[in-house]
Amino acid sequence: MALDIEFLIRTFFVAASGVPIALLVTIIALLISIPISFLLALTQINEIFIFKQVSRVYVSFVRGTPIIVQIFIIYNSIPLMLKKTFNQLGYEFNIESIHPVWYAIIIFTFNTTAILIEVFRSSLQTIDQTQSEAGYSVGLTKYEVYRRIIIPQILVSALPNLSTATINLIKATSLGYAISLHEITLKAKVAANLGYNYLEAYIDVFLVYLIVCSLVEYGYKRLEIILTRHKQKEGVHIA
Amino acid sequence: MNEYFDSTYLINAFPELLNFLSVTLFITILACLLGTILGFLIMLTKLSKYRILQILGNLYTTIMRCTPSIVLLFLVYYGLPACAEIININLHDVHTGVFVVVTFTIQFAAIISEVMRSAYLSIDSNQYEAGVSVGMTKFQTYKRIIIPQAIVIAIPNFANALLELLKEGSLAYTIGFIDMVGKANLIVESNFNAHALEIYLALGLIYWLLSIIIEYSFTKIESYFNQGKKSTIAY
Repeated sequence: MALDIEFLIRTFFVAASGVPIALLVTIIALLISIPISFLLALTQINEIFIFKQVSRVYVSFVRGTPIIVQIFIIYNSIPLMLKKTFNQLGYEFNIESIHPVWYAIIIFTFNTTAILIEVFRSSLQTIDQTQSEAGYSVGLTKYEVYRRIIIPQILVSALPNLSTATINLIKATSLGYAISLHEITLKAKVAANLGYNYLEAYIDVFLVYLIVCSLVEYGYKRLEIILTRHKQKEGVHIA
Repeated sequence: MNEYFDSTYLINAFPELLNFLSVTLFITILACLLGTILGFLIMLTKLSKYRILQILGNLYTTIMRCTPSIVLLFLVYYGLPACAEIININLHDVHTGVFVVVTFTIQFAAIISEVMRSAYLSIDSNQYEAGVSVGMTKFQTYKRIIIPQAIVIAIPNFANALLELLKEGSLAYTIGFIDMVGKANLIVESNFNAHALEIYLALGLIYWLLSIIIEYSFTKIESYFNQGKKSTIAY
């Protein structure tokens, strides 16, 4: 086994140049799916008709099928639907001109929303009923109860699961190659195509993901410490 | 290209894809069995009293958690033969299925070691003391008291890990392994990329059904074990 060290180092930066697009997709997908999934989790907890059933089927589908299959399905169905809509409206539109990053955002939002519904649902269940009752009893409105009492507590209890979901999402962006999204994996792969240095290229990709995911995990741990600061202080006081 | 949705393609795809269901299941079950054994060993390192073993075990889990399956798959696929070459073993003609099983075994082992560890730690230490106090040996205490309780606790997480494994296994097609996903891609190619949506929908439905069946059977198993627990409390 002769590793091409020079290629290894050069490709590391090629792979690392795909980090911004992977993070961009991750962050946008998270920003869109956090509010939606929170609302859908509320419909499940409050048993709102139709919303509850639909979101349960949706969650079951996303959790029950591989992401790559979801990518195949969405990537093939969006152009079909768009074509039909534009034909009916009488517009000329080139489907091939859509940048793959749009597909990536749609696909990963679709996927993450379902995962986060479960996360929020389970953390909503950990909040005791008495918490909201206490809020109402001092005259807060429903909106204020959620904003000041429920949501701050949920954020803390959901944080570990949110961290796992984010890391899984970053890992899942590696499947962007299937829709020719130029992120970490595809960039390294293209670089390796020239001289068949696949092993070196994948070692680089591996290192890049390792660094990115460790940083994200560390960031979430810091955030958790910051958000639970008041709890620790309280403990010290009593002691 | 795919101009319209044709459900006959969807229906025709089912029997063709189901032919390869056994391949997908075989890989999943094999990786699950081997991964559970390896995961047990990794759990032992994490619970060991030697600091260095603990660090190694945790490092292994972190690395596996941070690596996308597809990257791990390619690393094993290209890296294993390259490593074997050093000690003069030729792995270039080995069936791709072997690499798939190796990849998902080492990945599953990392997840399952965490599942086992958390299940083991959730058993109160006085359970062990109770066993020893009635004259059982260490081995008997583990076999009769700790492990049966830990298994029940581990069931839901084990089911989740198994479902994850089944889904991640779908990436095996990327190294040219023909399972259900590989077959779906072959069908799409033979149709000159037309009606891809119908084929992939059929694939998605099969996976969905499979997951629901697995999830359902594990809830049954869990409630079966929990039943025993409740009745002892009632006595």
